[in-house]
Amino acid sequence: MIEILDLHKSFGQHTVLKGINVKLEHGKVLVIIGPSGSGKTTLLRCFNLLEVPDRGTIELGGMKLSFTDAKEISQHNVVALRKKTGMVFQSYNLFPHMTTLGNVMEGQITVQKRSKEDARKRAMELLEKVGLADKSDSYPHQLSGGQQQRVAIARAMAVEPEVLLFDEPTSALDPELVGEVLKVMKQLAAEGMTMVIVTHEMAFAADVADKIILMEDGLILEEGTPEEVLKHPKSTRARQFLNRLSGEDVLIP
Amino acid sequence: MDERKIQIVIDSLLPLLKAGVAFTIPLTLISFAIGLILAVLTALVRISSWRVLKLIFRFYVWVIRGTPLLVQLFIIFYGLPAMGITLEPLTAAIIGFSLSVGAYSSEIVRAAIVSIPKGQWEAASSIGMTRSQALRRIILPQATRVSIPPLANTFIGLVKDTSLAASITYMEMFRTSQQIVATTYEPLLLYCEVGVIYLLFCSILSSLQNYLERRLARYSAS
Repeated sequence: MIEILDLHKSFGQHTVLKGINVKLEHGKVLVIIGPSGSGKTTLLRCFNLLEVPDRGTIELGGMKLSFTDAKEISQHNVVALRKKTGMVFQSYNLFPHMTTLGNVMEGQITVQKRSKEDARKRAMELLEKVGLADKSDSYPHQLSGGQQQRVAIARAMAVEPEVLLFDEPTSALDPELVGEVLKVMKQLAAEGMTMVIVTHEMAFAADVADKIILMEDGLILEEGTPEEVLKHPKSTRARQFLNRLSGEDVLIP
Repeated sequence: MDERKIQIVIDSLLPLLKAGVAFTIPLTLISFAIGLILAVLTALVRISSWRVLKLIFRFYVWVIRGTPLLVQLFIIFYGLPAMGITLEPLTAAIIGFSLSVGAYSSEIVRAAIVSIPKGQWEAASSIGMTRSQALRRIILPQATRVSIPPLANTFIGLVKDTSLAASITYMEMFRTSQQIVATTYEPLLLYCEVGVIYLLFCSILSSLQNYLERRLARYSAS
């Protein structure tokens, strides 16, 4: 289970998160939506401490970390928490000097100290899963965006995280490549992977989310099932945001 | 050109090449190797958060870059004996050139490390790597590729700079040519000849540099 309590984060004068509470059961999918600048990416990056919160607590995979202004969190704890999470970035961030296979093996070898054979075996299984086993010897620049992002998902999975974090995983992709990435994510959700996803793909959100959070201005505006948040939002602000998006056929399955 | 001059060129070719292979090249290689280690060390300290060490290394780079190499060599070889430290010409030359390469190349290495996108650090962190693991496995290998062309320039520059060691009595290629001039009275001929040999050395290194760059470019589209 993941539990986040009263999370605050500022960048200089600018307060990005103003007290966020999130609870997510194991095996569930949480989708975070909201206008740009609402703090959703910052919140996601707090899950694996790429941004260290100013205040609040994060409980994840049996670890509980409290943040205060007073004392800095130890590097040891930061790394320990990160080992329980995997992240997929908007711009893939694959390691360009390693092959596809190398990318997926790297964390297993360097972080988990697995043997090369074990790492290779698991990496091939994961590449199989994302449909890229035949690209194992390619370098990232030889792959399309959609393929790179699928490799990135395999890389994040390779270290057996308790939760997978997705930061707008399809935003940098050409429209025709979005589907292949969403398909892999859907498959993972169906297999019971715990996931937290920041996305603008509303139809996809409606489809895979167990729970949706709509953020605005550093706060949670709406929270609930896709049905509740997307179809019957309580606040006017939420309705406005959703209406702006739904010029298209985005709402609800 | 008369026969005598042709004979002088031919006769001096072997001693010059010998001096090049036996003294200039080893001096270059050793100084560059030590200098490179110094450069990486300096670059790492300067991107670290150790304040005092950072200050010391900044001071080192500042002094070395701000004073002529020839002056540094003179201080090491002719100056230090006044403090009771007497060094062999080779040792003095290696110290001087290593310090110089270290200071200049540290800026190259530092710039290369800083040029690697932040997303690479984040991706490494996201799979649980510590900062030093990320540096070793992800950042430095990429920074190496970025820094090969400018480092190759430094290396080629060093081949020529080693001629300064002549001034501290190290019998490298240039000093050998000076000696031949002293007996043949043919400065134009000999200094051109030694210049051509330097040119030859540097050309070989340039093609080596091209080869290295091509090899390292294989994982990158650019």
